[in-house]
Amino acid sequence: MAARRLSPLSVPYRVFQRGGSIVAALAFTLATGGFSLPFIGLAGPLVLVGLASLVAIVFVAYEYAYFRRFAYELAADTLDIESGVFARRNREIPLRRIQNVDISRNVVQRAVGIAAVSFETAGGGETEASLRFVSFEEAKRLQRELGRLKRGESLDADGELSEPDSRVLFELDGRELAILGALSFDFRVPGVLFVFFSGSLTFVTSYLPEGLGPLLVVVGVFVLLVLGMLASWVAGAVLAVVNYYDFRLVRSADELQYQRGLLQRYDGSIPFDKVQTLTIADNPLKRWTGYATLLVETAGYAPGQGDSSSRGSEAAVPVARRERIERLVEDIEPVGTPDFRRPPKRTRRRYFGRYCIVIGAAAAALYGANAVFGPVLPWYAPLALLPVAAVGAHYKWKHRGYWLGENHIVTRNGVLKRETKVVPYYRIQTVIDTRTVFQRRLGLASVVVDTAGSLSIGGQDAAAVDIDAGDADGLREELESRLRVAVAAHRRGRVGMGVEEEGDAPESVDGRDSEDESAESESGNEEPDPFVWGETYGDDSDARAGDDADDGGGGVDDDSV
Amino acid sequence: MNRLDPRVQLLWVASAAVSALVVGGVLFAVVTFLSPPFLPSWTPYAAAAVVFLLGALVAVARYRSWGYEVREDSLYLERGVFTRVRTVVPFVRIQHVDSSRGPIERVIGLASTVVYTAGSRGADVAVPGLTADNADELRERLKRLAIRSEGDDAV
Repeated sequence: MAARRLSPLSVPYRVFQRGGSIVAALAFTLATGGFSLPFIGLAGPLVLVGLASLVAIVFVAYEYAYFRRFAYELAADTLDIESGVFARRNREIPLRRIQNVDISRNVVQRAVGIAAVSFETAGGGETEASLRFVSFEEAKRLQRELGRLKRGESLDADGELSEPDSRVLFELDGRELAILGALSFDFRVPGVLFVFFSGSLTFVTSYLPEGLGPLLVVVGVFVLLVLGMLASWVAGAVLAVVNYYDFRLVRSADELQYQRGLLQRYDGSIPFDKVQTLTIADNPLKRWTGYATLLVETAGYAPGQGDSSSRGSEAAVPVARRERIERLVEDIEPVGTPDFRRPPKRTRRRYFGRYCIVIGAAAAALYGANAVFGPVLPWYAPLALLPVAAVGAHYKWKHRGYWLGENHIVTRNGVLKRETKVVPYYRIQTVIDTRTVFQRRLGLASVVVDTAGSLSIGGQDAAAVDIDAGDADGLREELESRLRVAVAAHRRGRVGMGVEEEGDAPESVDGRDSEDESAESESGNEEPDPFVWGETYGDDSDARAGDDADDGGGGVDDDSV
Repeated sequence: MNRLDPRVQLLWVASAAVSALVVGGVLFAVVTFLSPPFLPSWTPYAAAAVVFLLGALVAVARYRSWGYEVREDSLYLERGVFTRVRTVVPFVRIQHVDSSRGPIERVIGLASTVVYTAGSRGADVAVPGLTADNADELRERLKRLAIRSEGDDAV
């Protein structure tokens, strides 16, 4: 295949893009009187026009040269890109290392039929390579072709690219979009408004009659606050709708493709075998109403990384009915029905103690404040929160847990912001077991499962927190051996992300079941938890079928790609 | 379980001495130039001594808590005085291995081996307090083991 060029339309587009921003900047500085024109007299405008056209010619020449000198080629196993007007750069990116292919088009680009393509690799938040711009058809072709080459398929007899059968996994419906909009706030807007109007504030106050009294000030501040909230709410809603309009996830061969956006369309692909973790997030309100959020993390980037306008949470489902989220998870990763194992009950005391310390500190602070400023509130007022602390401790314990499935470990933590993380054993990078002084006193431990590219969500790795120390020792070993089994199975090309299971799970390494029984009495799943995964997808996750994981012997490395 | 070289305690005690000096120096400056009435003139020395003593104790305890083991499929580390941390790094996940020697380490004749994974906490996995030869040997050994278990499974 010969080297290809960018779309010719990219030249005018880039010129206008660049020129537009410069003109805007110039206009802004002129309008605000940043500097005065040095040319006085009749010749002034002429000189200006001359300068402007000179600049325009330079731009056009540069962009044309950029277009001329930019060539890319999708070779058998690399993506080669040559670029640069002054400094030349040749790059070869191994196809296997490409994690995501993202296509984005704004309104203008859609009108003229061009698109920007970004290729992401693991390791670093930066986009590895981008094509600005190619025709939309070419962008889609690249996306498809890349997927095909990675799978190692060949072209059809007539040299045509066969359209892989694709299936829509998820579509955000109108109600969910409406809910998303209603729940979205954009607090940047009041800030911007404040900056704009802070100058005119003194102007307004100078017109107000003297001595209107503090009442007016209070009312004014209140009104401003309400208006600010309203503005941020409207802005958030608009932004959410614009970003997530017509959001859909499509499964195409072994890729997950997403599309979204009203004005700017985003269109990207994530190979299933690059998905690192799935996170289901919710809060009490969402749990009540039966909604949840799904985040898909790859090593290339994670949801929420970077600024949201360019490429935030691409493969994340912002909000949807819980059943639909669970079905989607089941589609992407056949997890089964988690049966969470809670930490031992003594952890509740730990949490209660922790809250008590906070309450005690508040009481002490209040006592001090009373001593200094005279009585404000009785110092023991915070003690009224003790029942809340008890309930809080119970819920904290209740929502915490982990579960070992056939191919995944699932952990759950948090009450107000609960996150359920699904990590395939195959994605485990390191297993870290930590025990603080206080945990050791209670015989507890936390086991963190580190994966590639989970840095972004506040460093929140999947973790089994405050489990029994003995269990932690077992879990550590268990995870290690399950990773080994998963790697071996993967080498044989059987168990992978998104690969349809044939019912033969990798060998479960023993040593869990017997302990489970005894521990259950204490850690207990005594009551049906209304918020557990739900029994909807009741495949027998307990079935530890098949112990044929070792029959393959020294795994052939043929299709581990 | 392999222990670190005992000389690493020297390194950690030295760093405790440095922090003691810093604390003492700051307090000394405060006492000399501001001379607040509630600080007697001996506080800098006392504070430095306490910091040094505590630091030295922690250094010894840390040495005792440290251990590493090259297992069949993974590198296992155990460490931590107040928070005990046990880390399992499967060889398949090793991206690359470094051995490094800082200036003070060189004076004492020690080196560290650092193991990198693609994980978000990858660079955390460092084994300090090895003799130079041991560090190189560990690096080579881990490299061989990582290559042996190699696949395209790193990420």
